[in-house]
Amino acid sequence: MHRTLVQRALLFITIVALAAFMASCSGANTITIGSKDYSENILLAEIMAQLIEAKTDLKVNRKLNLGGTFVNFNAIQNKQIDLYPEYTGTALTAELKMEVINDPAESYRVVSEEMARRWNIIWLEPFGFNNTYTLAVTAEVQERYGLETFSDVVAIAGELVFGAEHEFFDRQDGFDGLVAHYGLTFKGEPMKLNTSLKYQAIARGEMDITDAFSTDGPIMQYDLRVLEDDKNFFPPYHAAPIIRGEVLEKHPEIAEALSLLAGTINDETMTALNYRVDVKGEPAETVASAFLSSLGLI
Amino acid sequence: MTELLHAMAEHLVIVTLSMAVASLIGVALGVLSYWWHRAGVVIIALAEIIQTIPSLALLALLMIIFGLGDVTLAVALILYAQLPIIRNTTTALNELDSHIIDAARGMGMSRAQRLLKVEIPLSIPMIFGGIKVALVNSLSIAVMGVLIGSGGLGYIVYRGIQQRNMGRILLGAIPVVCIALLFDYLMGKVEVRLSKHTS
Repeated sequence: MHRTLVQRALLFITIVALAAFMASCSGANTITIGSKDYSENILLAEIMAQLIEAKTDLKVNRKLNLGGTFVNFNAIQNKQIDLYPEYTGTALTAELKMEVINDPAESYRVVSEEMARRWNIIWLEPFGFNNTYTLAVTAEVQERYGLETFSDVVAIAGELVFGAEHEFFDRQDGFDGLVAHYGLTFKGEPMKLNTSLKYQAIARGEMDITDAFSTDGPIMQYDLRVLEDDKNFFPPYHAAPIIRGEVLEKHPEIAEALSLLAGTINDETMTALNYRVDVKGEPAETVASAFLSSLGLI
Repeated sequence: MTELLHAMAEHLVIVTLSMAVASLIGVALGVLSYWWHRAGVVIIALAEIIQTIPSLALLALLMIIFGLGDVTLAVALILYAQLPIIRNTTTALNELDSHIIDAARGMGMSRAQRLLKVEIPLSIPMIFGGIKVALVNSLSIAVMGVLIGSGGLGYIVYRGIQQRNMGRILLGAIPVVCIALLFDYLMGKVEVRLSKHTS
């Protein structure tokens, strides 16, 4: 009695385990796309997935929302994922452990050469946008002083209150470096506050100028104006698909399909897409397919 | 709706399979700790240390060895389940009435016979209680699985958090809570029945 029960339980476990194993085995014509755990990266992965599904015969296995750069980068090195969206600045400092490079073209050249050489990971053509730090002001401040670039701020900086999240004051490429690079002197002490409160504070006029990620959804939500880093202080973070060399050799059609996306997403487009997902709460799948059909790609 | 049902099914399969394996390992280690107290001190200490590792850190470490996906999550769940199962097993065995064990010994039973025919059957309710605690914990830990590419309800919950979409968070979290309460209730009933049976 006892034995048969144990035997049955073991049989059951074996069958379920086998079924689960077989289900998880992917066929030869399947590629696995990963993404980091925030909306912009998930959205880019979803856009690539839908485009590959539409333009090639490959099946796509989505492993989206993996925990951060560390997990994605380990996963692609260990062949657990074949492809994910990465940023040049992140690859340079977090993956290659090299010094910051300010020239965008040079940065892209170095990461693509080094990663191909070290790990046979290939950089495809960038999407176009640069999700780096920038400075943002309200529409009203921008119009009052006619601001376009960081250099325009220098002359009137004494009239503006600067505020940012705590991390910006601790980073090498943060506040101290910025004011030294451009020779800025803001009004009074800078405000230090929580990231999520930052945009509300500038929208309410409690401060005049803040740092921002250039593709943040709230930029659109609060109608903020992003200024141009004309003396290239902030390192570039251009996004591009990165793919395992072996997979690319076997399926060159992936590069062909993804090349259709090269240069199609500028900062404003990415911000608008992030806004729909982050602020409006639309599902990434819907926003991705709407974007692709607006380009006439699906 | 199908997305939700699919996620719930994945969640349940991963958790129950992991707990089946965890129970075998945990009970075996519990018996070992009962037979050999010195090993027991070390085993429990290790299980306690594992318990204190934050789940994301443990998952990230295990991912380096086991790769992305369900296996890594299962290993993490099995590790986290050890403390309640081992501790309940050893405690139950240690608290058995010594007269009963003496009687079994008097009947000429070997150590293995005593364990399988007397000690384990009498300890089942408490061991089962340990498994219940482990299983209910695992249901919520498994939500983290999304971060290492495993299936389940985690994706729905995490997207909800990232989009600050309360509806979506609840859509993922409520099934986790309901399943946990259901298991807690059903296994509690079984536990009561088992302890009536043995006392």
